[in-house]
Amino acid sequence: MLLKELRVEFRNKQTVNSFIILSVLILAAFRFAFSVVEPPVEDIAGPNLWMSIFFAGMLALSPSWKREVEQGTRDGLRVAPIAPSDVYLGKLLANLVVVFALEAVVVVVVVFLAFFPGTSPDWPALLAVLVLGTVGFVALGNLISAISSNLAQSEVMLPVLLVPLLLFTVVISCVGATARVFSGATVLEVGDELRFLAAFALVYIATGYLSIEYVLEG
Amino acid sequence: MSRQQSLRIPVLAVAAALTLVAVYMALMFASSAPDVDGGDVQRIMYLHVASAWVSYVAFAVTFVAGIMYLRTRDLRWDANALSSAELGVLFCTLAITTGPMWAKAVWGVYWRWADLKLLMTLVLWLVFIAYLALRANTPDRRMGASMGAVFSSVGMLCVPLSFAANRIWTQYHPTVIGTSKGGLQVSMGATLGVAVVAFTVLYIFLMLARVGIERARDELEELKQKAGDHLG
Repeated sequence: MLLKELRVEFRNKQTVNSFIILSVLILAAFRFAFSVVEPPVEDIAGPNLWMSIFFAGMLALSPSWKREVEQGTRDGLRVAPIAPSDVYLGKLLANLVVVFALEAVVVVVVVFLAFFPGTSPDWPALLAVLVLGTVGFVALGNLISAISSNLAQSEVMLPVLLVPLLLFTVVISCVGATARVFSGATVLEVGDELRFLAAFALVYIATGYLSIEYVLEG
Repeated sequence: MSRQQSLRIPVLAVAAALTLVAVYMALMFASSAPDVDGGDVQRIMYLHVASAWVSYVAFAVTFVAGIMYLRTRDLRWDANALSSAELGVLFCTLAITTGPMWAKAVWGVYWRWADLKLLMTLVLWLVFIAYLALRANTPDRRMGASMGAVFSSVGMLCVPLSFAANRIWTQYHPTVIGTSKGGLQVSMGATLGVAVVAFTVLYIFLMLARVGIERARDELEELKQKAGDHLG
C-alpha cells in the first residue's frame, strides 16, 4: 500500500514540487506581512514555519483519498484483501513521506535563509517537535481527508473540518514549542509540549486506525 | 400522537416553571451581595454556566448517538445525533456570547486569548459548526450519518478539555463548581443548580421537538420512495 501510494505521488513530480513551491511562497508571504510590524525574528519564525507547513500540508493531504473516489478505485480498495486499517496506515506513511519532504525544504529556508542567517537553533529539539507535530497532523489529516473525500466541495471541507480539531491540540503545542526552541530552548526544556504532542499523535493514529473502516464503508 | 409527542407539553411546562424559579432566585439572592463578583453582572453567570453545561451534554449525546448509529446502522440514532449537535451549537453560542458580556465588566476586556478555557470552548464551538457544515455537504443521508459519527467522535475530545481547562491549567476563568476556594454562597449555588436543571429540561424539550421533525422527514422520504416504486 505504502509503495503504491508513493509511486502515485512521485510519478507525478509536478504535484510534490508544487506543494513545496507553495509552502515557500506562504512562508515568503507571511514573512513579508510581518515585516510591516518588525517583531523580533525569533518570535515570528515558529508561527511562520507552522503556518506554511499546515496550509501546504493540507493541500497535499487532500488528493490522497479524493483520487480514490474520483478514479473509482475506492471500491477496489474496499473489496481488496487488505484490512481498511492497513489502507489507512499505508496512506499515513505515504503522506508522512510527502509532508516530511516538504518540511525539509521549509525548515532549511526558515533556519538558513529567511530568519537566522548565522545562528542556528537546537537541532534535536527542533527535529523532535517537527516529527511529533507532523505525525499528529498527518494522522488526523489523513482520517479527515478520507471523510471529506465523500463530501460535496471536498477541497473546502478538508480545512473546515481539520483546522478546528488541530487548533487546540497540535497547533498550540507545536507553535509554542517551536517558538521556544528558536529562542534557545533544548529538548529537555520543551519536554511538556513534546509529551503532549506525542499523546495526540498516538490518539489520532488510534482513532484513524479504528474508525477508517466506517469511513470507507460509508 | 406518538409517545414522544405527548411528552412534549409536560416537559415544556416543567422547563418553563423551572426557568421562572431560576430567574426569580437569581433576582432575589444575588442582590444580597451586590459588591462581590461584579454585582449585578454576576447574574449573567447563571445563564452562562447553564448554557455551557447543556452544550457539553448535547455534544456528548451527539457522540454517543453517533457511536450507536455506527453499531446499529439505525437512522433514528442519527436523528438524535444531528439534532443534539444543532442544539449544542445553539447553547454553546449562548455561552460564548454571555461570557464576554460578563468579562467586559469584570476583566475590562471581552476576550482573553491567553485563557485556554475560552480558547477550548471557541474551538469546541467551531468543531461542531464544522460538523453541521459536514452534514450540510453530504449528498447521501447514510453517508452523512457515518461521516458525522466518526468526525464527532474525534471532536468529542474537546468537551472534557474545555470543561477541565481551568482546572488543569491555572487561568483567568473562574472555577465555581467543586472547589473550596472562590466557591459560591449557598443561595447562589442553589440558584445555579435550578438554572442548570431548568436548561437541561429545556434541552430535553427541544430535542423531542427537533428529533420529531427529523423522524417526520425520514418517514416522508420513505413514503416518497414507496410512492415512487408504486408508480414506476
